[in-house]
This record gives sequence, structure tokens and C-alpha cells, in this order.
Amino acid sequence: MKIAVISCIHGNIKALNEVLRDIDRNTCDKIYCLGDLVGYGLYPNEVVETISALAIPTVQGCWDEDIVEGLNACECSYPSLLAERRGRLAHEWTDRQMLPENRDFLAQLPHTLKDNNLCFVHGSPLSNHEYLLPQIDSFTALERVLSSGADILFCGHTHVPYVRSLASGNLQVRLTEPQRQEHLSFAAPLKRIVNVGSVGEPRHGRPNATYAIYDTQTDAIVLREIEYDYQSVCAEIIEVGLPPIFAWRLARGLEFAEKADDPTHICQR
Amino acid sequence: MWAILSGIEGNLAAYEAVLQDIYHPSHAVEALYILGDMVGVRKESEALLQRLRFSESEQLQPNICLGWWEEQCLILHGVGKTGEPTELVDLYGRDILKPLWNAVSRESVEWLRGLDFGFVELDVLMIHGSSISVSEALTPETPPWLMLDRIQRMQVNQLFCGRSGRMFEYFVQEGSLVDSLLTLDERQTHTVMSPQKRVIGVGNVGREPGQASYTLYSPYSNKVEFKIVMY
Repeated sequence: MKIAVISCIHGNIKALNEVLRDIDRNTCDKIYCLGDLVGYGLYPNEVVETISALAIPTVQGCWDEDIVEGLNACECSYPSLLAERRGRLAHEWTDRQMLPENRDFLAQLPHTLKDNNLCFVHGSPLSNHEYLLPQIDSFTALERVLSSGADILFCGHTHVPYVRSLASGNLQVRLTEPQRQEHLSFAAPLKRIVNVGSVGEPRHGRPNATYAIYDTQTDAIVLREIEYDYQSVCAEIIEVGLPPIFAWRLARGLEFAEKADDPTHICQR
Repeated sequence: MWAILSGIEGNLAAYEAVLQDIYHPSHAVEALYILGDMVGVRKESEALLQRLRFSESEQLQPNICLGWWEEQCLILHGVGKTGEPTELVDLYGRDILKPLWNAVSRESVEWLRGLDFGFVELDVLMIHGSSISVSEALTPETPPWLMLDRIQRMQVNQLFCGRSGRMFEYFVQEGSLVDSLLTLDERQTHTVMSPQKRVIGVGNVGREPGQASYTLYSPYSNKVEFKIVMY
């Protein structure tokens, strides 16, 4: 069976439609979505309605939670006060567009989905707001997959796609209690983290949408990068009156449109 | 040496016995840390808190952080992180609510609110539960991957904790794994060696009638000594 996993659509219906066409061309049997259906992009309702109409199993992303719970629910950090102000603008714009039934759809999304030995989350098994970046400590990455109870952990949130394989994990422990001492050995089987990147707000340095396909028969994982008409999406962002910087960074597939004033700044929400 | 203890749970007699042991000249204790759970449902909880709060005349002024029982008190008094004492009721039943409410004064609850979550000294984290929660109990049965994660979150080498009430040293000596990363543009593989890290359960002072346990730690030699005091 071939399973397509998408994430972080962020209201970008054009990118989503192109990805769905590619999923169809690749004859995938199932689709999972890792949340962040809305935010920044211009078609939050259309995206929610598409995902809902196709009955795609979906977990709640941090932006989805934000729209449901209100701005104060967000614990995501921004690199600067300027970025935080722009994020707030995007939230308020999206909030004004959301239809009640679509907001209800986002509200009932679960935090985690499981399918046999596969686990699907937005950020990490611990939190919607944790970034499983490709460079996090190897043993920390292994712990995240082990804590999910799965062999393969699918996640989004970072908008940078990768497949990380953690093999031959072993640890030796000396345990001492008042009456005894023991030497223990632990081994972990092969575990993988698959970050599927972003459909609608890529940050891997190119504007193309990304997602992943997992083949349960061959156990192979493929990262897919899909071109689409991002230029017209950028033009629409500017026409609608959202900060032009959103269009600028979408066109470049960048995370931040500005350097951090203060890299230690934490979102006050 | 540092004396590190937890789980007094209002047992004043046990605490007095442990203090006497700590003050023995051979131990050369220069700092005292209490990792939460000072209170419990014992009536002496309030007297113990008064003793700890006004300890300027004592030989060592204790450094105190919040524990699970303190967190339940805060919740009961409407100033905790959650609205309902769900964990407390799940573990002990609703009959515990009144005794715990009566065990600690409102004034002491206000003092408890100001306590630290934990301490980082040198390369040591001292905390009641773990680096993610006051409720999480790290024990000898905890998987090493989780132990490593809880230590590395705080960028320390050692974690002293008291939630389980058990006394143990869990030393991650060595290990490795093969880490392969595939992106859209490249693939990299390398072998990673695990760091050496340690988790110490410091025991508990007041849970077991007649027997108190605590831990001495030397930041100079890195040596840990488990102490049991009969009273």
C-alpha cells in the first residue's frame, strides 16, 4: 500500500490541488494530513473543505489550534518582534475569513493518529509546538520515535522535509541501588522520522510544495517536490493587502523574511 | 558536600533526624537542597513549613523547590497550573481533599507559589520530578532513551530527583547509534556516540515510618553517597 503524507498547507489551495494531482498520478491508496491547514494563505476555508470532503485523516496543527483557541493558544516562537507582529496579522486575517463549520472541523482534529506501526503528528509526540529539526540530537530524535510507540514517526511543523533513519541504537547503563548494582544493556530497532515538509509554505529554499510517500510493501520512503504556479499566489497575497513580505518569502521558500533582532526572543503568547 | 533530600511529606520527626545526621561534622555539608514534597496530609505539614520558611538561625538555610504535593496544594487553592486536582483524586480519592486543604495554611500556600521549579548548579539539575513535569517519576525502570532526553533538555550532565521516593544511581555509561539523514538534496550518515549522563534518585525523608533516606553529593569528587537514618 502507498501512503501519501502532507502537511502545513496554510491556506494555499493552488499548491494543495497540485499535490493532490501528484498523489493521484502516483496511485497512492491513502492520504494523511499533519495539520496547519490554515494561516498565512488566502484560502483557509477552501483548504479545510477539500480536506474534509476527501475525508483525509488529519491531526491538528499549531495554527489550527491557534484559530480554534484564540491567539493566546500559540506557543510558537518568532525570531523577532517584527515577525511576531506579521504573524499576528496573518492570524487575524485568517480568523476573519474562517466559516464557523470549518472552525468546528479544526476543533475536532486529534493531536495524534496511528496506523499500525506508523504515527502521525504535527510537531512531535509531546507537543504541537516542538520542532523536530533535522539537526536535533540523535538520541533525542530516537527518544521521540520510541515515545510514539511507532517504527516511523511522520511529522511536519518545520516546513523542511527529510527522512532520518536511526539504526543500531544501543546504551549501556550501570544501575546502583543501596543493596545492589547491575549492568544493563539496551538496544533499539531501526526507527525513522519523516518530516514531510510543507505543501503551502515551504522553507527548504525553493517555492515548490513537498510531501512524502511511504510504500508499506517495500518499506521505502520518497520525498516528493512539486512545482506549481506560486507566482500567481504571491500576486494574490499582495492584491489582498497582506504584508508583501509573505509573498517574498513564499517565492523563495524561506522561513523568515528578516534576520532576527533577538534570536532568543520567545513569542509572548 | 551537598545534602539533597525530598519527600518529607510533613514528617517533622524524620526531618529532624535527617538534619541531625546532615550536621554531623564528618559530612562537611555546605549546602542543603530540598527537592519538593515538604508537605503531605500530615497535620505537622504547616509546622514543617514554618520551620523551613523561618530558618535564618539554622546552620544551613535550605534551597527549596516545588514538588508534587505542593503543586496539588496550589491547585486546591485555585492558584495551580490546572483548575481541578484530577491527579490527586485519581491517586488518592476525594477523601484526601479536606485533609490536604487543612494541612497547609493560605499564607503558606502563597509562600509555596514563589518556589523555584528546580536548580541548576554547575552541571547538575536538581528537581522534584523531571525536566518536563513535577509529576513525572524517573525510576530505575525508566528507559535510558527517556533518561537521556530529560537530562539533555536542560544541558546538564546530572539530574537529581525525588518524585519516585527511591534511592538509585542510573549512569548511562556509553552507547552509540547510526544516524542517516536524507533531504531533497543530499544524504549523510554518521555514527554518534552517547554522552555519559547520570540520574540520581535521592530517596525520601518522610514516607516510611522510622526510616528516612537522603543523598550526599560532592561537587568536587562527583561522588554520591546514599544515607539511611533510623529514627
